[in-house]
Amino acid sequence: MLSDAEMLRYSRHLLLEDVGELGQKDLKDGKVLIIGMGGLGSPAAMYLAGAGVGSLVLSDFDCLEVSNLQRQIGYQTGDIGADKVELMKHRLEMINPEIRVRSINVEMDEAQLLMELMMVNLVLDCTDNMDSRQMINAACVKAKVPLIVGAAIRLEGQLMFFDNRQADSACYHCLFPNSEEQTLNCSNSGVLGPVVGTIGTMQALEAIKHIVGLPSGVKNRLKLFDGKTLDWQTFVINKDPNCTVCGQNR
Amino acid sequence: MNVIVNESPVEIAENSTVEQLLNHLDKPLKGCALAVNQSIISRSKWSEYKLREGDQISLFQAIAGG
Ligand SMILES: [Zn+2]
Repeated sequence: MLSDAEMLRYSRHLLLEDVGELGQKDLKDGKVLIIGMGGLGSPAAMYLAGAGVGSLVLSDFDCLEVSNLQRQIGYQTGDIGADKVELMKHRLEMINPEIRVRSINVEMDEAQLLMELMMVNLVLDCTDNMDSRQMINAACVKAKVPLIVGAAIRLEGQLMFFDNRQADSACYHCLFPNSEEQTLNCSNSGVLGPVVGTIGTMQALEAIKHIVGLPSGVKNRLKLFDGKTLDWQTFVINKDPNCTVCGQNR
Repeated sequence: MNVIVNESPVEIAENSTVEQLLNHLDKPLKGCALAVNQSIISRSKWSEYKLREGDQISLFQAIAGG
């Protein structure tokens, strides 16, 4: 099952009753697509690489800018101008040479995304705009692939998990149906690094729990994180039967 | 009757719907989601969902950043 080198590398997982050797094998077999390599994607990708998720696909089409470094902890000043997705691929391979990392350095359209979804069993939405979020949600519903959504702005974070394998799962569009509306993003509102890092870290935690088969506290839930008080609020997301993405009349 | 909106009390007519509350508040609702007692009410139900005395309403905006 696991090599001696892997037994050593993952010894702190093997000590955990909730992971153990079987869980580590599940992680090794795990295939996760992470879309967006910014403040959410940086910690999410690095934690999943460290944890030994066997196949990671990274998607982003931006170059590193100096203003990214305040929060996107996977990168260094000397990397400015280079493609983020290639920088992160290299970074993950340095963290853990036991895993396979593939990079997608273009803005995917729905057709390409649907093709990529056939090759993974989980998606992390770490993007920074509403159009991408709606497109990723619709594709994951269509392909029945579980989706963990993170978002952060200012001192606030949002975390959701939609298990699209289950017919009664709600979706992102049930919660936020209008993509054309003005929404807040990091470049128009600002954000603190540890706030976006907290949400990206929670996406990685939920991903690991999902892969090793632990129950999730966020399925069909929205968690709101308040970086000022450190309080988390939890809301139940009800499937909207009239949802044009996941509802009965789609 | 009284309801609580994001921790502040608001007085509205008996049997008001979510939509009537939102009209009463006269707030910009772009990209907003709404929950009553920690349960999200789909936008398609806002015009029919009737509020009750003491309901706790949370209004928050979609955030897209990352
Ligand atoms: Zn839906």
